Amino acid sequence: MKVLEANKIGELAAALSAAGWRVLLPIEDGKVVRLAPWSPGAAVRTDVVPVNSIKDALFPPSEVIGRFGLDGGDFTVQEAPVDTAKTAALCVRPCDAASVSLLDTIFNWDFPDAFYNARRSAVTIVSLVCASADEQCFCTSVGGRPDGTAGADAVLRPAEAGAKLILEPLTDKGRALADAAGALLSEATVTADEPAEVPQKFDRPAVTKWLAANFNSPLWQKWSLACLGCGACAFTCPTCHCFDIQDETTRSQCVRYRNWDTCALALFTQHAGGHNPRIDQAARRRQRLMHKLSYIPERFGLVGCSGCGRCQRVCPAGLGIVEICQAIEDIQKVPAR
Amino acid sequence: MNVTESIRADAARLLTEGRAKMVIGYGLRNGRSVPVFLTEPQGADSLHYGPQCTLNLAAYLARPEVRRNAPLAIVAPPATLRSLVVLAAESQVPDGSVLALAVGPQEYHGVVDVAAAAEIVRKHYASPEVDPDLAARARELAAMTPAQRSAFWREQFAKCTRCYACRAACPGCYCRRCVAETNMPQWVSTAARGHGNYAWHILRAFHQAGRCVLCGACEAACPQGIPLMLLNLSTAQEVQEQFGAKPGLDPAAKPVMGSFRPEDKDDFIR
Amino acid sequence: MEQTKANKNTTRDATGETFEPRIVAFVCNWCTYAGADLAGTSRMQYAPNVRIIKLPCTGRIDPLFILKAFEGGADAVLVSGCHPGDCHYTSGNYHARRRWAVFHKLLDFTGIDPGRLHFSWVSAAEGRKFADLINDITERVRGLGPFASDNPARRQA
Repeated sequence: MKVLEANKIGELAAALSAAGWRVLLPIEDGKVVRLAPWSPGAAVRTDVVPVNSIKDALFPPSEVIGRFGLDGGDFTVQEAPVDTAKTAALCVRPCDAASVSLLDTIFNWDFPDAFYNARRSAVTIVSLVCASADEQCFCTSVGGRPDGTAGADAVLRPAEAGAKLILEPLTDKGRALADAAGALLSEATVTADEPAEVPQKFDRPAVTKWLAANFNSPLWQKWSLACLGCGACAFTCPTCHCFDIQDETTRSQCVRYRNWDTCALALFTQHAGGHNPRIDQAARRRQRLMHKLSYIPERFGLVGCSGCGRCQRVCPAGLGIVEICQAIEDIQKVPAR
Repeated sequence: MNVTESIRADAARLLTEGRAKMVIGYGLRNGRSVPVFLTEPQGADSLHYGPQCTLNLAAYLARPEVRRNAPLAIVAPPATLRSLVVLAAESQVPDGSVLALAVGPQEYHGVVDVAAAAEIVRKHYASPEVDPDLAARARELAAMTPAQRSAFWREQFAKCTRCYACRAACPGCYCRRCVAETNMPQWVSTAARGHGNYAWHILRAFHQAGRCVLCGACEAACPQGIPLMLLNLSTAQEVQEQFGAKPGLDPAAKPVMGSFRPEDKDDFIR
Repeated sequence: MEQTKANKNTTRDATGETFEPRIVAFVCNWCTYAGADLAGTSRMQYAPNVRIIKLPCTGRIDPLFILKAFEGGADAVLVSGCHPGDCHYTSGNYHARRRWAVFHKLLDFTGIDPGRLHFSWVSAAEGRKFADLINDITERVRGLGPFASDNPARRQA
C-alpha cells in the first residue's frame, strides 16, 4: 500500500502545486478552519470539520455566468469563462465527499450546468478518514460513515496512531494524483487506525415518513421561533445549492452573477406583487427540512444531508438538523391519546 | 438563590400571573446555550444563565412570530438591557409590552420595565469595559497606514459569504426590508465579492453608529470569524468622542445620528 | 489651501494614458451648485475633472451615494453644501455634518485614503472657492494616482 508520513501533507501540497495543481486544504485562519488554497507555511488542521466544504470549490459563493456589452445600440454577448483550473482538494471530510453526488445530480438534473461541471471535472477529491468527530457530527444518521469513500477520488486512512496515512486511489483522477506524489509515497504495509465513532442520533427514514404526513403540523411554529432567518446554515452546508441570479449593470456593461441564496430569508419567495407564499419563519424552516429529508429522498433517492453538523455549529441560535429530527422522534414516542 | 434559580422563579411567576405570555431566555442543549421560548410556568426549569449566554435575545423582539405573544419577558444581561432601551427610544417597544429579567455578571436585579432597566444601566453598566484584546487590535489598526488597513479589511471581507448572520443576530437590525436587499434602486451588490462585501459591512456599521450596544452578537454569529466588533467599536468611540452619546442609557434619548447640535465639530470640512 | 507639488502629469492609468482623476461631487442645489455655476459664468478656469451631481440639500446625501461613486470608479469624492446656519431647508446640513463626521472616519478606518474624500461648505457667492477647491483636489488626487486596485469599494471588471 502507498503510505505518506502524516507530517508531510505540506510537502504533498508543494509537490502537487509544482505539478500544476491548485491545492485546497483545511487551513487555520484565526478562530476558524477553512478549506482554502494552500500556500507554503499554511497551518493545516485536520482535527476539526472546516467551516466550509468542498461545495465552495464546485459552486462558489459568487460566480460570473454571463457578460454582456452595450456599445451604442449594439448588444453583444461576451465570454463568461468557466473555471477549469486543475484542483486537488486534500483531507476532505468523508461527509463532504459523499455530498458531491447530490450536487452532481442537482446540477445535471434538467440542464447540465457548464460552470459546475467544468469545476467538477477539474477537481480531484482526496478524503481523509475521520480520526475524531465532535458532538455535532451525525453522518451515521444519514447513511454516511466516518470512513466512507463515496464521492472520493482517493482516500487517506490514518495508520499507526495517526503518524502515517495510507493513500488509496479509487478513480483514474485519484491514481493520477498518487502518481504526482511520487517519492513522497512509500510502499509499506501498515494497519489502519480505527475511525472515529459517530453514534446514531436519529432514525432518518422514520423522520422522512413523518415529514411526508405532517406538512401542516402546528409544531413547525414552535420549532422555528428561535430561527433568526439568516443564511449561516445553508451557506456552510455541503448539500445546499440554491442560488440567485443578479445582473449588475453600468451604462456599457452587464455582468451576470450567480450568488448563493437561502430559503431561510423571507425575500427568497417574496413575489413582486407583495405576496409571500412562505409567509413566516415556520414555513421557511419547514421548507429546509422538507427539501433535505423529504423531497430529495422522494425525487432522487438520495438524502439531502451529509451529517457534517455545520448547521448546528454555526447557527447563532443553536438550531440544526439533529435537534429537529430528535424533536420529531420525541413526538412519535408520546403515546396516542 | 443563585442567578439561574432566581430567573426560573421569576419566569414562572410572570407566566402564572399573566404578566407575560412568553418568556424568552437561555436554555442549555448539550452544554450549549440556546434561546428558549416559554409559554408555560412548568417550563421554567429549562432556563439557565451563565457566561456562555452570548446571544442577544433582544434580536427576537423584532420577529413578528415572537411579538404576537406580547406581553413578553426577556432574560437580559447588561447588553440586552441596553438594547431594550435603544429599541424603546426608537419606538420599537410598545409601552408595557416587554419586561426584563435583568441580570448582571454576578447578580440578579429582578423583573423591571424599560424605564427601570435604563436606571440599572445608568447605575451599574454605563461604562462597560471594552475587551482589552479588542481594544488592542483596534489601536493596532488605527496605527497602520490607510493602505495597510485597506489590505487588512480586504482580506477580512473576502471571507464574507453574505449569509447575513451578523444582521440576523443584531437587535438593532430590525428593518423589514434591508437596504442591501432592495433593487429599485440597487445600492449594494448582493454578490459575495470585494465591492459588495465592503459596501455591506460599511453600511451596516454606519447604520449601527450611535445605536450599537457592543454586545458582540454579530461577531459571535459570523461563521467566518470576521472581526466585526472592530468596526462597531470604531464607530462607537467616534460617536462618543464627537457627540458625547452612548446608546442604551435613556429610553427618551433622541437618536444621535438623527439629531444635531449647532456646535458639532466641522474641522474636517473645508 | 495647501500647495501641492507640481507633478508634471507623470502618473499613468491602466490604459497607459496620462492619469486624469475622475472626481464626483455631490453638491446641494442652493449653495454649492450655485457657487459652481457662478464660477462658470465668471469664466473662472478650473480643472475639468469633476462630475457634479446636484441634490436639493446635503441632508439628502446618503453615505451610500459616496460608496456608489467609489464603486463606479471615482478616484475621489467631494461632498459640499451650505455653510452652517445658511441651509435652505434650515437644518439639512447639520444632519449631514453629523453623518459625514462618522462616515469619513469609518472609511479611513477601513482603508480609504482620506485624501480621496473631501467635504466643504461652499456658498452661492463662493465661485472662486469652488474653483480653487476643484483644482486643489484634482492635483492632490493626481499625486495619489488612480483609485483602482487599492479601492475596496470599486467594482472590479
